[in-house]
Amino acid sequence: MSMLAKLYMEFLKFGAFTFGGGWSIVAQMRELYVKREKIITDEELLDITSIGRSLPGTMIGNIAMFFGHRMAGFLGGLACMFGMITVPMIILIVITSFYTAFQNNIWVASAMKGIRTAVAPVILSALMGMIKSAFKLPPCYVIAAAMFGLYFFLRMSPVWLVVIGAVLGLLICEYYERKGEDSK
Amino acid sequence: MILLLELFWSFVKIGFTSFGGLSMIPLISAEMISHGWMTAHEVSDIVAIAEMTPGPLGLNCATFAGMRAAGLAGAFVANMGALSPTYTLCAVAAVFFDHFRDNKRLGEIMTGVRPACVGMVAGVIVDLVLVNYVEAGNIHVPSVILGVVDLVLLLKFHMSIPKVLMLSAVAGIILFGVMGL
Repeated sequence: MSMLAKLYMEFLKFGAFTFGGGWSIVAQMRELYVKREKIITDEELLDITSIGRSLPGTMIGNIAMFFGHRMAGFLGGLACMFGMITVPMIILIVITSFYTAFQNNIWVASAMKGIRTAVAPVILSALMGMIKSAFKLPPCYVIAAAMFGLYFFLRMSPVWLVVIGAVLGLLICEYYERKGEDSK
Repeated sequence: MILLLELFWSFVKIGFTSFGGLSMIPLISAEMISHGWMTAHEVSDIVAIAEMTPGPLGLNCATFAGMRAAGLAGAFVANMGALSPTYTLCAVAAVFFDHFRDNKRLGEIMTGVRPACVGMVAGVIVDLVLVNYVEAGNIHVPSVILGVVDLVLLLKFHMSIPKVLMLSAVAGIILFGVMGL
């Protein structure tokens, strides 16, 4: 029970700070679970992120479920998921009730504008930490560059990017394995 | 009761056919307007609000539309609908993945998926930069400076993320609200 409560409270806090499409939840999880508590590695966090992003539904819900499941099974997943949605849901309920007052409030708008300037740095700082664990073999750099191009210029869906990455991963590993056998 | 079921089902459809982020908007818009739960204008407002508040767009829309259509119960039911892929499909995937974690093939697959994910996140960052530091087509210098300060606080001083976000909110009130930059 205490594990479920711990997960719920941690994701409650993450949920309160998931600005910018939810990517900052990955940064926050990295801060707590990879750097401080060392429960998971950068590699595992990247795995959870890419799977969560490529399944249908809400990315951070999926990431919460995946992480919670690893820590404490299905109930752990539910604890993380409910923790994650609690604060955003309360905030939105309040906003919906005071919709018009909120809409035109200059102080709220300025605070949010300030927060938006921090979102890219937050995600960037997490990404820089995870880069090392993502590039096992030299061709991985090419994959990252190519997927950036497909995402940014061609607006290809993340689902396809992950599928393409998976196929390339198999091919590259196969190639290196054969090469290794040849040189024996 | 029927209304709650309808809300739930609408968001189940939205949840299962969308893959996060802005890809949800056309779907949400069609479902909300056809049921009369939100107007087209409200849909565009909620997109702006969802960007400003924590939590993903899909869930924020679910809360907003659910509240409008059926109060608190509506908000909860709509959220559960939007999250339905998470506690069904994703839960199954988690069982599968945790079971085959040490499998060699899965390891090979993830060798390619991880850099793909890095490339994608890099794209997301560029997207965010283009939106958050540009105003009316021009680079907004005070925002850029604040962003650089945030980055230094994170990387150099290892300040925690919630602290950085709260500090930026205060800086935003001072710079953009009080000083009107």
